[in-house]
Amino acid sequence: MGADPHCGAEISVEKETGKTILNFLKHMLNQKLIDGLLMPVMVPSGDSYAWILMKDSTLVDRANPLAPVMPVQGAKALKSLTRKGKSDMTVAAVMRPCEVKAAVELSKLSQVNLDQLILVSYDCPGAIPLEMYSQDPAGKESHFRSMIEGKQFEEDSVKPVCQFCTDFSVPASDLHFALAGEEGSKPVIVSCSEKGSSLMDKMGLKTSHDLTPWENRVEEIRKAKSKKREEIYKTVQHMVEGFDNLLDTFSDCIGCHNCQSACPICYCRQCYFDSKEARPEARFLLEQAEKRGGISFPQDKILFHVGRMSHMSLSCVSCGLCSDACPVSIPVARIFSYVGSQTQKAFEYDAGKTAGEALPMKEYKMDELQEIHEMIKSAESGEVPHE
Amino acid sequence: MSKMLKMVSDAEKSIVGFLKYLLDSGKVSGVLTLRQINESGSVDYGLVTRSSELDRAVPLMPVMPVNAAEILSNLTPSRKPLAVVVKPCELRGFIERIKREQGSLENLLVISQTCGGVVPMKVSVKSKNKTLTADYYKAVARGEIPDHIRPTCKACEYFVPMTADITVSMIGEAVSSCRIFLNSDKAVSMAEGFDVPAEDGELDVSITESHLVKRRNERSRLFKQIESEQKGLDDLLQVFGKCIGCHACSRVCPICYCTLCDFESRHFDQNVTLFEKELDQKGGLRLPPDTLFFHLGRMSHMSFSCVGCGQCTDVCPAEIDVSAQFMRTGEMTAARFNYVPGKDVSEEIPVMVFKEEEFQEIGE
Repeated sequence: MGADPHCGAEISVEKETGKTILNFLKHMLNQKLIDGLLMPVMVPSGDSYAWILMKDSTLVDRANPLAPVMPVQGAKALKSLTRKGKSDMTVAAVMRPCEVKAAVELSKLSQVNLDQLILVSYDCPGAIPLEMYSQDPAGKESHFRSMIEGKQFEEDSVKPVCQFCTDFSVPASDLHFALAGEEGSKPVIVSCSEKGSSLMDKMGLKTSHDLTPWENRVEEIRKAKSKKREEIYKTVQHMVEGFDNLLDTFSDCIGCHNCQSACPICYCRQCYFDSKEARPEARFLLEQAEKRGGISFPQDKILFHVGRMSHMSLSCVSCGLCSDACPVSIPVARIFSYVGSQTQKAFEYDAGKTAGEALPMKEYKMDELQEIHEMIKSAESGEVPHE
Repeated sequence: MSKMLKMVSDAEKSIVGFLKYLLDSGKVSGVLTLRQINESGSVDYGLVTRSSELDRAVPLMPVMPVNAAEILSNLTPSRKPLAVVVKPCELRGFIERIKREQGSLENLLVISQTCGGVVPMKVSVKSKNKTLTADYYKAVARGEIPDHIRPTCKACEYFVPMTADITVSMIGEAVSSCRIFLNSDKAVSMAEGFDVPAEDGELDVSITESHLVKRRNERSRLFKQIESEQKGLDDLLQVFGKCIGCHACSRVCPICYCTLCDFESRHFDQNVTLFEKELDQKGGLRLPPDTLFFHLGRMSHMSFSCVGCGQCTDVCPAEIDVSAQFMRTGEMTAARFNYVPGKDVSEEIPVMVFKEEEFQEIGE
């Protein structure tokens, strides 16, 4: 997994891309290549989606593999399925690249078992913020469809983190639907792993399609998004530099910890900050208040965010679920995406890209982070380290 | 006749003055109050021990970043006297927590207000609490329901605090003056020595009664709206189907005090074989599971203690009006037990007492 796309094949194409994908998957199900499918299905109220594991083909017809929103991170659905061990069924899950990446990270954290799972991704134009979608579901549905059909991958109506997502086409999955090709080109199925290739073989697909035009187009979009990423990171940088800026950034935080609850990476059943250990005694609180003239509630506002950053930013996939979940509109996703990009850079790690790779914190390398070693050495010798 | 302090400045200034007096005279060691924490207007709860720190206090501001009931649980039992300024539903939430051994009134001087309701979190954060408040206070002074408050606040019948030591009169009160009612002996003795001497006075019931009529109308309107949504499982799925399972509603709920909700515990981790079986039987299943089960479970655990504070609705990322649903269910369950949550600290919560003669109809 995580290798460059092996090979691509043309598939039978319907009028709508969603239908094309659905037919392909249905074919896999009917041929008994898989036992079940995990896809988004619209909820009864018609203004959101839920993950449904299905084998009934009438249910498959109701699914929308290209849902405009991501109310629940797909990796969380996979976690609930395989947290206690691998499945005997072969399940294909159709998810956004960031969901695939989160699933890969969770597999490293022993929360998802990938053995019997087929991860299927697609070139993702981004997700529409949940709040905006629920105000006008019908309008947003047709808007999103036109984005897919018109191959518009640089739209501003998607979440801020999606606008600058450079991994919108990262095929860390087993199978990938290449949708972002040149104008007028048809969707192509790409295998990205041995699992994927063997499935394509079994389906008798001719894997000789030239992927170059698609790869070129993806690279072009990636460059544009990368530029946007730098611009947005510049506006975020100061928000996390120094304690005063952090205080200001998180001043409206109510301590609900919903960012953590929506985060696919934060898998702890009980966050330390919600545990009994983190709850000080009444006497201690008053003593603190007396010492300082006053203390704030909720307690540990900044410590919580900084703690969470240090725990999960190395695995942050910039899916943006935290921002959707924040009741006071703090741009948590942009902040964590920026911090994650910095921590991942320091360890030359790319969250969710490769399944076999160890998490940086689980691996000791004698030669890494030499610059910190230098800083300690110069501090010990009394020199002031330069910036 | 009960006692009151007749103040010549607006309610906020008056109560801050009184709080400063309490701190400076050493009658209390700390004050829990809402306060502005930065120039841009963010507000949080602070436990303040120095009276100069009270310059930034906004004790009566119509916002609720957190339901203070949980903070009071963390601060009590207090070894030293504290004055706390909370909204009536926060006090009721705390009373319900005390019944669950999550706090104590010992050493607390509870100050509350006749409450005009609070502004939804998103609105208060966006406006930085500046533009709305002037209109809000005017409406409250006229005895009207302000426009932009939470739907559950509009429908709240318990805007007069039931067990506070001190009540600041807000509804129907002139903006430029204020009356502070001393409801308990503790309150009267705390006010002894204050610049303004206590005089006889009673909260004007005619004003609160006529306001109550308006709130009751709003309540029946809201409940009528959701009545059809609660008839059966399919209706409930219409409402809760879009729930994303973040459980933020339970985390901000003043009643849900469990450190780890059962629905997040190992008990609810399922073996994959169970999913396989269900998939075979039904053809499809939702992941993560237990969406509706969670809400029904929470309802059965806490609805009779629901104080209708509205925090759950404010934090729901899926924009479900959780609060209206729980408030209505709560009213119905509590009514079966003749119970009013947060009214009386000595009253047991209904499910803790067994009465042989109750619910005979179910036995039949």
